[in-house]
Amino acid sequence: MTALTIPAPRRTVPAMARFLTALGNEIRKGLLFAWSERLQIAMELPFFALFILLLGPMLGAGHQIAAGHLNWTLNSDRISLIVVALVPAMFFYFQAVKLFWRLLAEIQAGTIEQVYLSPLPSWLVAAAGRLAAAVIETLILMAVAYGVTSAFVTLHFHWTFAALVPMTFLIITGIGYSLIIAGMTLLWKRIQLLNDTLLMLVMVFAVTALPLITVPGWFTGISRVLPVTADVASLYGVMLGRRGITGLWGTGGLLWVAVTAAAYLAAGIIVFRVLERITRARGTLGAY
Amino acid sequence: MSAITVLRPGAPALAPRGFAWRAFGNEAGKGLRLMWRHRAVTITSIVLNGFLYLMIQFFIGGGHLVLPVLALTLPGLFALAVASTAALQGSGGIAEEVNGGTLEQAHLSPARPSLLVLGRLAALAVEGLIPATVLAVAFGLGYGPHWVIRPDALVPLILTITDALGYALLMTALTLRVASIGAVVHVFNMTVMFFGGMFIPIILFPHGLEIFARFIPTALGVEVLNTALAGHGLGAAWADGTLPWLLVHVVALAGLGWITYLCTVRRARREGGLSPR
Repeated sequence: MTALTIPAPRRTVPAMARFLTALGNEIRKGLLFAWSERLQIAMELPFFALFILLLGPMLGAGHQIAAGHLNWTLNSDRISLIVVALVPAMFFYFQAVKLFWRLLAEIQAGTIEQVYLSPLPSWLVAAAGRLAAAVIETLILMAVAYGVTSAFVTLHFHWTFAALVPMTFLIITGIGYSLIIAGMTLLWKRIQLLNDTLLMLVMVFAVTALPLITVPGWFTGISRVLPVTADVASLYGVMLGRRGITGLWGTGGLLWVAVTAAAYLAAGIIVFRVLERITRARGTLGAY
Repeated sequence: MSAITVLRPGAPALAPRGFAWRAFGNEAGKGLRLMWRHRAVTITSIVLNGFLYLMIQFFIGGGHLVLPVLALTLPGLFALAVASTAALQGSGGIAEEVNGGTLEQAHLSPARPSLLVLGRLAALAVEGLIPATVLAVAFGLGYGPHWVIRPDALVPLILTITDALGYALLMTALTLRVASIGAVVHVFNMTVMFFGGMFIPIILFPHGLEIFARFIPTALGVEVLNTALAGHGLGAAWADGTLPWLLVHVVALAGLGWITYLCTVRRARREGGLSPR
């Protein structure tokens, strides 16, 4: 008779430590992805400052364009407004776009199934790893865009820590939206066209939060429920209107900003879980 | 003793008649079948793209649509739809095949890579032209821009489509070399959108930027198309230098896309880059 002795584990790793290790690994993976894309990030840098600078004179210039000329004078106030709208919108854009492509690469390579070996909830693995990388990457991009823009035109901002509140809510909203896109990616895979167009619409509607042009009521109604508009309106109040963030009501009010973030995060987790479950039930998690 | 005849590598193999057409058709058919399978996404994208264009023009018009500006920028929308759709689908499609390992299988075929790429391009052209045509016809009929439509407009139209496909092929080729190019294709598409004539005609940009914009895919094509649709004829486009430059641009971009694609495929075959590493 042979006795097989199975040694007891020397020590049990606490659940929290496992959780943090897994989270740390995902964040590290996200950062490694970002580092591998440094060349592309460098290629992206000049475009955003140009977009911001050129958009200023274009907005509201329809009749000048029809007449065949356009005054390209850079108006400091208008460019400041556009920076407040486009910097958060671009942050949001990059968070969602990069999450989509990285997730797609994992699906195609078959490593997405390894997510389910992790002790973390799958939605957290999808969101957490990319978040840190997206935040760092976008901060660099936006800092350079801001620097280049301010070399051409003086930007008038009221810098205050209060601006971190709408930015934090924007990040939370971005996580929620990214999770919706991630769930759709798991199920339908080829959604790059849809993702691109949706994000462009989000960026365009973000401009409606600012007093640049008069828009119809239905337009404002749509823009209120889109993810970036409320945060842009709040940032405008803080950085240009010097109003603080304590106002509760209205599109940029603290209540609406918080509700938008909470709603998108909840919707993101629910949509991700539902679409992921459908994908797993079909057995098409890593297959085309 | 037995003798085995081994064909010299690179020697032209005797292919059955119609093989080239079948290989081309298979590659194109694959792309089209994939597009049909994802038709819901394609239709939604067309609708959203149309809405996006209207929103942009609404902002440029300062709260309303300025019809003469729509007439000047609709060719830009057409060109963008072809270029961005073909580039995104080309880049996404080849990344899918690399990661799924099926690109390697496609290159086990005796068909030359140039034949396979022609099939891929044909599918991308259809994928790009469907949304572009739908949007152009919808807005053209909806707003009735004052265009002079004559057969000579076909010349810049075909050149613009070729230019867009050259750009798409270049992006597809770069996907084989540059890690996660997908996000960058979005940025390049934004550049085509901004500088390609969909916001405003590029002739209105400050001089330095106008020169820069003329290097952007489809921008020169849209400029010549606008000249033709304004009824000035190709003679005017030739005289102001835009048509000759468009020809140079198309040849250069299509050639760059073609050579880059074949070189990256050859390198990937040599280094094992046709499958995930």
